[in-house]
Amino acid sequence: MKAWLKFSPEMVNKAVITDLIKNYDVSFNILRADINPKGGKMLIEINGSEAEKGIEYIEKAGIDVSPVKRVVKKDTDLCIDCGACVSICPVKAIVVEEDWTVDVNDTECVGCKLCTYSCPTKAIKVVE
Amino acid sequence: MKTIEEINQRIKDGDAVVVTAAEMTQIVNENGVDKAANDIDVVTTGTFGAMCSSGAFLNFGHTDPPIKMTKTYLNGVEAYSGIAAVDSYIGATQPSRIPEIGIDYGGAHVIEDLIRGKDIELIASSYGTDCYPLTELKTHINIENLNEAIMVNPRNCYQNYAAAINTTDETIYTYMGTLLPNMGNVSFSSAGALSPLLNDPYFQTIGMGTKIFMCGAEGYVIGEGTQHNTEVQRKNGVPVNGAGTLMLKGDMKQMDPEYVRGATMPKYGSTLYVGLGIPIPILNNDIAQRTAISDEDIVCQIMDYGTPKRSKPVVIESNYKQLRSGSVEIDGVEIETSPLSSYKKALEIALELKSWINKGDFLLTNPVKLLKSEGSSPRPLSIRRQTVLVNEIKSKPLITANPTDDIRDVAKRMVQNSINHLPVVDADQKLLGIVTSWDIANAVAKGKNMLKDVMTKKVVIAREDEPVDVIARRIDKHEISGLPIISKNNRVMGMITAEDISRLMCARNLKDGV
Repeated sequence: MKAWLKFSPEMVNKAVITDLIKNYDVSFNILRADINPKGGKMLIEINGSEAEKGIEYIEKAGIDVSPVKRVVKKDTDLCIDCGACVSICPVKAIVVEEDWTVDVNDTECVGCKLCTYSCPTKAIKVVE
Repeated sequence: MKTIEEINQRIKDGDAVVVTAAEMTQIVNENGVDKAANDIDVVTTGTFGAMCSSGAFLNFGHTDPPIKMTKTYLNGVEAYSGIAAVDSYIGATQPSRIPEIGIDYGGAHVIEDLIRGKDIELIASSYGTDCYPLTELKTHINIENLNEAIMVNPRNCYQNYAAAINTTDETIYTYMGTLLPNMGNVSFSSAGALSPLLNDPYFQTIGMGTKIFMCGAEGYVIGEGTQHNTEVQRKNGVPVNGAGTLMLKGDMKQMDPEYVRGATMPKYGSTLYVGLGIPIPILNNDIAQRTAISDEDIVCQIMDYGTPKRSKPVVIESNYKQLRSGSVEIDGVEIETSPLSSYKKALEIALELKSWINKGDFLLTNPVKLLKSEGSSPRPLSIRRQTVLVNEIKSKPLITANPTDDIRDVAKRMVQNSINHLPVVDADQKLLGIVTSWDIANAVAKGKNMLKDVMTKKVVIAREDEPVDVIARRIDKHEISGLPIISKNNRVMGMITAEDISRLMCARNLKDGV
């Protein structure tokens, strides 16, 4: 699953994430991060057999966890299926199908919005 | 051997055999060229790509009292009106005059909106004459109430086009789309084996008067496009780079918005996606053989768009089979590829044109003059005022600092030499960072002592052989005031600053009497 972790200022110096990885069977990927002494947030992808337990642990430790409900959508009226977005997607969430239709994949998307900016017809929207 | 008249008779009789260029490749592979040339009457092609050199002549009709329009704006986009009283030409790449909108709504969008039947605001002004007394007007027009709306595109349908890559370390925004740094992606444009002019590479059938599919309507080739180039190197009979072009004309009143689209290349400009399909009559074996070309046989050069020069270096040669596979390998690294033109739409167009011919709705025409197939190549434009290169600018003697220098010594050095920028180098004169007088002030304010603690490590640089105009654009883009000049072997040679460039401009203007 993907989630935003919000750190309050007092949480910034604590090694909660290190403990999470050490003590639970999880695979953990940081997709985006913006943390400074005044707190911050981090977009993570967490998987593995103990992912749920792990999330419980960091929530208890004081990190605010909000699962990402992001929808990346292409407007089929606007999209001309050119494919300009395909190669700029950092996580290969945009693919060209057998029939040459360009398809965006919601579960892979990390919300960087590079495609929404680069689309010549402004056909891709990311809603969080 | 067949003639166009014979093929047209077969179309009228419902007996013509029409296939798309994609199907033809397979047919020739399976049945051989002799049989294919005999069996097949017409091969349809298609492309749906960004074609910046497009636009439309509009005739608004006369008002009462009449006006001789000298400036016209359509939804805020200027159209050229230096043609009689109520004609204008709206070009696809003209941006909106409203700064907040700019390239997000340009001439291409006006053209799409007209074809969609939307109302467009027309603002016109004039100087007033005895016969045209009105000097201003504001009204709405649409495709219905325009007398004529004729799309005339000076350069469309490029025969092949180089793919783009970016070897610099920053993202660049080009007419080939967004190019990621360090060869992060490749962007290509041509529809390859489906593309019209790659299926008739020596222009044996296409010329002035060839009837075509243009944005969902019947259109015509009216001659070679601008920059038509017949002298590009060929492999497998087709040019390896941008070569032949077409000038086209079509009636916008008949066009279908499915096959035309206004678009914007980010930070570049607006452009028009034009849907084109050209029927190729299979008059003989050679023409049949040419239409059988496959994506694999069409070479495409991948060029470095990180070089803002007319001739861009070729990084590697690829072909459309590779490009369309989703990635190409360069120096052992898989690099993802993106088409800029819609292959799906291109196929749709080839199929649509095929169905028009099959239904007997679309007959082929005999061109009155074939396109030039030799002796045509565009010349570059030379500028009277020679481009000044970085190493031709007189700059101050080079003063550098070392990372372990004390801030106070550095401050002293800057004051003594009255400079604001100081490159920080190692023992070999290789660049490590840069400090400005602002960095020094910042260091003093924060009580830091050593230069390496305050220097900027990610430095925007200038190369000795770069034109000063390119550096001016870089200074503006990065909001900086000076760049270290770096030699080919990566040594710091000096500094070029915004002041140096303004001094150069003043000297130039003085010389030119401005």
